[in-house]
Amino acid sequence: MIKKKCIAMLLAGGQGSRLNSLTKHLAKPAVPFGGKYRIIDFTLSNCTNSGIDTVGVLTQYQPLLLHSYIGIGSAWDLDRKNGGVTVLPPYSESSGVKWYEGTANAIYQNINYIEQYDPDYVLILSGDHIYKMNYAKMLDYHIEKKADVTISVIEVPWSEANRFGIMNTNEQMEIIEFEEKPAAPKNNLASMGIYIFNWQVLKQYLEMDNANPNSSHDFGKDVIPLLLKEKKRLVAYPFKGYWKDVGTVKSLWEANMDLLNPKSELNLFDHSWRIYSVNPNQPPQYIAPDASVLDSLVNEGCVIEGHVEHSVVFQGVHIQEGAFVKECVVMPDAVIGANAYIEKAIVPSAVEIPSGMIVRPSEPEEDIILVTKEWIQANSPETVEKG
Amino acid sequence: MNKMMLGVIDATTYMEPLHELTLQRSIAAIPFAGRYRLIDFVLSNMVNSGIESVAIFPKYQYRSLMDHLGSGKNWDLDRKRDGLFFFPSPDLNIPSPHLGAFQHFEQHVDYFLRSKQKYALICNSYTVCNIDYRHVLQRHIDNQCDITEVCYQGRSLEMFILETSLLLDLIANRIHTGYNSIMDVVCDHLHQLKVCQYEHHGYVAVIDSIESYFRHSLELLNPTVWQQLFIKSRPIYTKVKDEPPTKYTSDAVVKNSIIANGCVIEGHVENSVIFRAVKIGKGSVVKNSIIMQKSQIGEQCELEAVIVDKDAKIEDHVKICATEQQPFVVRKGTVQGALMSQ
Repeated sequence: MIKKKCIAMLLAGGQGSRLNSLTKHLAKPAVPFGGKYRIIDFTLSNCTNSGIDTVGVLTQYQPLLLHSYIGIGSAWDLDRKNGGVTVLPPYSESSGVKWYEGTANAIYQNINYIEQYDPDYVLILSGDHIYKMNYAKMLDYHIEKKADVTISVIEVPWSEANRFGIMNTNEQMEIIEFEEKPAAPKNNLASMGIYIFNWQVLKQYLEMDNANPNSSHDFGKDVIPLLLKEKKRLVAYPFKGYWKDVGTVKSLWEANMDLLNPKSELNLFDHSWRIYSVNPNQPPQYIAPDASVLDSLVNEGCVIEGHVEHSVVFQGVHIQEGAFVKECVVMPDAVIGANAYIEKAIVPSAVEIPSGMIVRPSEPEEDIILVTKEWIQANSPETVEKG
Repeated sequence: MNKMMLGVIDATTYMEPLHELTLQRSIAAIPFAGRYRLIDFVLSNMVNSGIESVAIFPKYQYRSLMDHLGSGKNWDLDRKRDGLFFFPSPDLNIPSPHLGAFQHFEQHVDYFLRSKQKYALICNSYTVCNIDYRHVLQRHIDNQCDITEVCYQGRSLEMFILETSLLLDLIANRIHTGYNSIMDVVCDHLHQLKVCQYEHHGYVAVIDSIESYFRHSLELLNPTVWQQLFIKSRPIYTKVKDEPPTKYTSDAVVKNSIIANGCVIEGHVENSVIFRAVKIGKGSVVKNSIIMQKSQIGEQCELEAVIVDKDAKIEDHVKICATEQQPFVVRKGTVQGALMSQ
């Protein structure tokens, strides 16, 4: 292999259990987002747009869809002769099968993969976030600051700082303390889970961490505190722009709605930083004579015969005559039956909402409804009558 | 049946009535149906019929066509064996007599000699339909035909199946026989060859003039036409552009239209076909029109029966009203200002 200056390791094995049934059969990074994407598209597109052409994607939970989606990486221009995308699921060896136990352990188990490229720097990413970021700039900053580790941070509202991993920094942006979900935060710079390591430092500390039987082998919980304790040079890289963890049904819905906000910092129409995805190859969308589409994102292959307002509609969706869809996320190949009414909901892939069904929160503050097949069954008129 | 047929697409045709749309491209590369080029239909039909070796014979203005096809990857034709071949004509001064010019084939006869496929399918590039050529081949074999011609309501669709060896004979003996093209052979009755006709059922559009381009484009708004062309099991492939979904603002009014990805619609669109990454400004009304990719319509415009070619710009307050019999064409890459249209 030809030496690479910097390669990326993308952690994509997360279950995302707070996304409920959306992640029953697929890993969180494969959850559909933004009318045509999957969450992992943002990180993979950031890599290719930042000039990082070697990406190891670590998978574990429900990997089937993710593996076939990533393929050889051609959708992101990552099908390369030297480097490119390599999917790295857990494997067995003579001593037995080892699952990835924690984020640091997942990287530790793939030291051989990394060593093939003899990199100077390793970028650790997760496939769980929606954002656009130029990692090349972060790498320049890392080199300029002569850091051992650079951690990307974002300012969060002080009131929410207790929900994040907070980096306490000095004026030179050196990290002096790391606090996971502090009750009384001293700072509002949250870790984005994006790290650049000098490879030799990372390798040494992964080995140390692996030898520690009390470690949970997690970057945030174990490796970063250990590096701080050992007085390594950790620097924070302040990121400005849109960044969102879409870990819950509510936040996934919100992030989709953010795309409809004209003032949103996340611009999908920026040709200088395209978000790539696997093309579903469907014909253009058809908007029928009696349809109306307002303030929405609609993808190819849709047939819209009803009313769509302030919604994100994925490919192959059919919204039938008289249906009313407001503030919804409608995932691929779903069908909204004639005269159905849905508001503030996520309709998962290929779910069919029966004609005339009404889906809306009973109280304004109620959470977003995830309209699964089970939900439909439990709430359809026949079932309710019988019950 | 796989690997039994070669696909040959004759992309040499030039048609005066399509002049306005072919100033910078061949007919094969004319954008159609919101996100495709004309050649996508025949090429996808070939691929969906199990054809793995396709030869394209272009003559004029083929930069745009080559750019569109690339390695053939989008049609799954980037193969180690077979795949997509591009055979431009070295003689630009000799006009092609008819479809399937044997002289042009002879200039690249090695392709036919090296190929192992027993049959060859020769098609033009501007017939839009969704057809399974395996059925045509089966009929060709069952009826022991020498040449099978695909027709629609009795009219030739300029799609022919014949044995590759017969094609090679016709190429080699063209001076002796006087047949210069596959069309010459089919139209003549003085030979011993058995020419059969295969009637295609389903929607067909032959694009041979601005008027027919316009009419067939708007026919796609009829859901029955649409369903005959876009069949789930036989998709039409095209070059991938990675555009985001289309954005409709709160001012958008869209009725009976086909809209591709990457558009921003702020105005009123009715009975129209809108290609990828088109912008339609506030207060503009677009009716019975075709707006090709990346064109921008300003604010407060009024367009009726207009074909706006790729990368054109219509400035604010421009009014262009033409008729379906004579649609107005805004040429590729041009700017249409308010004063010009008066």
